[in-house]
Amino acid sequence: MKVSRRDLLIGTSGAAAGLLLTPVPWKLLGDVSIWTQNWPWIPEPVHGPAESKHSFCTLCSSGCGIRVRLAANCPVGIAGVSTNPVTRGALCPLGFAAHQMNWHPQRIREVLHHGRASSWTEAQAAFEKACSEGPLAILDGRPGRAASSLLKTFAGERNGSYRVVLDKESQTLEPYATWSGVSVTELGYDFENARTILSFGAPLLDGWGPPGRFTRLWSERSAGQEDPQLRLIQVEASLSRTARAAWRRVALHEGSEAALAAGVARVLLEEHLVALQRPLPQMSLAEAASQTCLTPDAIRVLARTVVENRPVVVVAQDGNPAVAALNVLLGTVAASGGIVRKAAHVAPDAAAEPQIDSARAVLVDASVPWEFVPQTDAEVFRFAAWDGGGNSADWLLPAPGFLEELTDLPEAPTSAAEMYAIAQNLAVAPANVKSASQFLLQIDSTLPVIEKLILTRCEEILRTRQGSVYGEKQLAVTNFGSAQKLEEELRRGAVWVGEPPRLGSFRCELKEWPTEIPVSRAADWTTAWVPPVLPPLATKLYQESNLREKPARRNA
Amino acid sequence: MRRTLVVFAIGFTFAVMTGWVAFPSALYVRKVQPLEFHHKTHSEKSGFTECESCHAFGNAGEFTGIPSIETCAGCHADKLGTSKSEAILVDDYIKRGREIPWLVYGRQPKNVWFSHATHTRLAGLACSDCHGNFGESDQPRIYEQNRISGYSRDIWGHSISRLRRAPHDGMKMSDCEDCHRRHHVEVGCLGCHE
Repeated sequence: MKVSRRDLLIGTSGAAAGLLLTPVPWKLLGDVSIWTQNWPWIPEPVHGPAESKHSFCTLCSSGCGIRVRLAANCPVGIAGVSTNPVTRGALCPLGFAAHQMNWHPQRIREVLHHGRASSWTEAQAAFEKACSEGPLAILDGRPGRAASSLLKTFAGERNGSYRVVLDKESQTLEPYATWSGVSVTELGYDFENARTILSFGAPLLDGWGPPGRFTRLWSERSAGQEDPQLRLIQVEASLSRTARAAWRRVALHEGSEAALAAGVARVLLEEHLVALQRPLPQMSLAEAASQTCLTPDAIRVLARTVVENRPVVVVAQDGNPAVAALNVLLGTVAASGGIVRKAAHVAPDAAAEPQIDSARAVLVDASVPWEFVPQTDAEVFRFAAWDGGGNSADWLLPAPGFLEELTDLPEAPTSAAEMYAIAQNLAVAPANVKSASQFLLQIDSTLPVIEKLILTRCEEILRTRQGSVYGEKQLAVTNFGSAQKLEEELRRGAVWVGEPPRLGSFRCELKEWPTEIPVSRAADWTTAWVPPVLPPLATKLYQESNLREKPARRNA
Repeated sequence: MRRTLVVFAIGFTFAVMTGWVAFPSALYVRKVQPLEFHHKTHSEKSGFTECESCHAFGNAGEFTGIPSIETCAGCHADKLGTSKSEAILVDDYIKRGREIPWLVYGRQPKNVWFSHATHTRLAGLACSDCHGNFGESDQPRIYEQNRISGYSRDIWGHSISRLRRAPHDGMKMSDCEDCHRRHHVEVGCLGCHE
């Protein structure tokens, strides 16, 4: 029998059809995909003895407790710590993947001068020259650390200025600091004792403050309850995640928060719902209703609801003084469940403005958020672990990455209680990186070293004999015989929490109702929070999932 | 028309037979372990009745895996028999302090983190739930390595179709997921992948 070309084609067709009924295509597909994952140039995770250590996330100032899984002394996994009194096991998606950040392609690994490779020697010479020629300004993003103390000392010795770059949450406390003369870093929100929270667009359930602090409170006292223990009233133009989950939502015209605050204040005063009798806003209720697109009755109902279940605290999304003035009117400043003052140990620091005049050199610590760009003619020396893009500094200096340096952590911004923790350096830093404090120590060896400053802080805590240390178990500070023992415990991942906030320890007085100042809008909040770079896993979790909504989606 | 059907059927049958019979044999390369090892002899004659007697956990709960040559040397410092394997063990490995390059049947890829302690101590699983009755084997099985992926055949399982398998046959991610689902234990991606 002669085999024709037609027979070959038909036989091949039969074979192709038959092949689909075998494991060949499916198995080959799987094996080839695995083969591509194991190409020799693809980096492999380290293998070695595994262990777990407790520490704290240093990506932002929240200082969440973390359990770091190490393989061959290299961090390979991160989880939350349920015994942490603030976060109670919660972590943000970035924190879960923070250990990957040290290998990010945008990691700064060498000194850059105007984008060109330089050296530490040249950077130091340029810095010393600039300091000798004119004033120095040092910007710090996380005041209250041992490194902050060192930066401040250096600035003081050189007749320079030390300024603090406030995060978004702390900026909401600025009006109270202005009115009372108390430093912003000493103030906080006592959400734990509040029964009603009136939020003017603050994204309380969408990443506001330390992860877990408010979300846990809300889930325990509010979620799914018709008459919850904790009432969250969200005043917001868009239907954000917080607005959707809130007990009540008040939809107003975007940008009319100050008008609504004035309207609510007017009702509170006119109906004698608060003890104070002034200051009366100039804006009438009808005007407030007109600006906010609400009815006067709706504003009246809101004002009555707010005072129905006290203590009540008002939270703004920014430093809007008109919104902040409501807290003064409601008597919740320096009161339980309101704006409180922590037992302070940090002297008030000047807040930094982007415009920096009369400086010859500006040193920007790695803790300053990347989006803060100093507007100055001075020579800018910026420390950073990752390059967030742009051209914001003359000198870009490689700083230690995640868990690559020993650092201490004061309480999170807006926290009601004083706290202190120590984050160990669990990862080995690349050879060419230095923190700002290490850099300054090379210039002035008389400055105190970080280890000594941390021990000094532990001695201060021990002297007060107040508060407790939360580690494997909760221990009163009085149980520690020496500062060294306390420091050892803190280095093992424990956290010290001080006494409850001091009530009535400061006063805010308003002679007249504040007029609104230009502030950033709600849509900017989440975008401003985004860090300079994202680790691969966080990109997946954080960007592609709907864990954090983008402003465009929120307004859709 | 009839000729067309016959030719189609020949091609079809050839492909099906090749796919189900020849392909599995061709896909895996068969390797022999460097030494004969009798689990049964060790459990019956040497009194190591528990897997953990040799495959121990460290102080921190970490799994030490296959025992090091030092453990073997505890009994085999001198030859205990006249077999060829015994001579190789003592002369080539123990006396020279070299580790035996065992081919590990259940070796997982490096992007997976697995805790034996969690599964045996916390969840109470028996070793045989995943590894089968390995401890009763007379001699080590032939190690089959996938020519493309490089993985042991034990990961995919011995049934190429994965349809009718023994409970312990297969150590793929889907097998882990199935077991977790059966035991109502939820674990996210980060539970195993770093």
